[in-house]
Amino acid sequence: MSGRVIVITSGKGGVGKTTASANIGTALAKAGNKVVMIDTDIGLRNLDLLLGLENRIVYTIVDVVEERCKLKQALVKDKKNPNLCLLAAAQTRDKSAVTEEQLKDICEKLKKDYDFILVDCPAGIEQGFQNAVAGATEAIVVTTPEMSAVRDADRIIGLLEAKEEIESYRLLLNRVRPNLIKSKDMMSVEDVVEILSADLIGIIPEDTGIITSTNKGEPIVNDEKSLAGRAYTNVAKRIMGEEVEFMNLEEETSVVAKVKKFFKGLMVKEK
Amino acid sequence: MKDNIFTELYNKLLGFFRQAEEEESTKDVACNRLRVVLMQDRTNLTPQLLEKMRGELVELLSKYLEMDKDALELNLEQEGEQMALMLSIPVIRAKDETEIEKALAEEEAKKMAEKNAEEDEAAEETETEEELEEEDLNAEEDAAEADADVESENETLNKDNPKKFPNKEICGDCRECEFSDDIECEKKIPSKKTAKK
Repeated sequence: MSGRVIVITSGKGGVGKTTASANIGTALAKAGNKVVMIDTDIGLRNLDLLLGLENRIVYTIVDVVEERCKLKQALVKDKKNPNLCLLAAAQTRDKSAVTEEQLKDICEKLKKDYDFILVDCPAGIEQGFQNAVAGATEAIVVTTPEMSAVRDADRIIGLLEAKEEIESYRLLLNRVRPNLIKSKDMMSVEDVVEILSADLIGIIPEDTGIITSTNKGEPIVNDEKSLAGRAYTNVAKRIMGEEVEFMNLEEETSVVAKVKKFFKGLMVKEK
Repeated sequence: MKDNIFTELYNKLLGFFRQAEEEESTKDVACNRLRVVLMQDRTNLTPQLLEKMRGELVELLSKYLEMDKDALELNLEQEGEQMALMLSIPVIRAKDETEIEKALAEEEAKKMAEKNAEEDEAAEETETEEELEEEDLNAEEDAAEADADVESENETLNKDNPKKFPNKEICGDCRECEFSDDIECEKKIPSKKTAKK
């Protein structure tokens, strides 16, 4: 088996890299793939929280690198899905604890046993980013329809293009708010795609469910009713090579919009 | 009473649509600002450099066309893999042949004057071998400058409007000539360079 190593990166912090990693990983595992997620955000680890695995971590990636344990010992299995496991970052060290070569080496070893290796990249373009990208051949650039996130994504795309090992990268547009797009207060999907001139892998709507699912430590893809969950499932399908149409978020949310309109109409009449 | 409500509603609706037409939406503002900032990020062209490029383009183009210089728009746009330079200038009128020829002739004259100046200088400083070498270097530099001038300088503007493109600095350096005496002034400048070396 030779797995695919995909790095999930963004440049800017807080756009949803870790949430995207947790959900894409879970969705890929649910589809029957063997998936391992690597958290490379050493010192600021969070992927374990989103997966609800924070209490099960014994060894971290730094322990593997410094040979205090074997690679397999450090992999934490998911509660629900035995196909999914996590290689956690160390919380008490910094980004210099691991080198590019070491990460490359870990990815090479994991490739043999897993279909997908998802690398959750730290924010920024410094060594942490360089480390995370080192072992990958594909990238998912997470951004939101905000100026600062798009600008940083452009910078990241520039850096990815300069890396020979990265064969392809695609854009994941997160936290999209159809209502704001409709009122022209937010850049549309088309705007962002045009400005960055990159291929899309998914559009994720803003969803309060993300917050509650993080509270519970359970990725939102497990909630089949949620819009964001379905969007992430579609992203996983696209990664596996399926052609899935992009959700029309305006239509999906229009039911809510219609109800609101109806009530607004009533209120106006009463006045 | 009812009429009033309806007219009010109609006006409100009208007002709403007018507003939508007139005001640039915030997302358009964001898109435009992003395009500019990404252009700078991608090309390493600072606003100062862009302004310089703009100025040079205006000079070059106004040899051939009379245009609204303040309304010139210069943008680098990404079209797929290709980056394109988009230039938009409102043309007031096309210059006629004689005007263009005049402008070109004046430019040619200036170029010649510059060359002569360089040659004069060269003649002045052919005494020792060391100086010869230096001079070669300078000649190359100046030739490159002259080439750039062919593209960028606008003679008519320079002459008509000496204060706009003054040789103030040059004069400040040589302290010998007035604004009007361009040629003599430029003579001094390269020689000063060599003197420094």
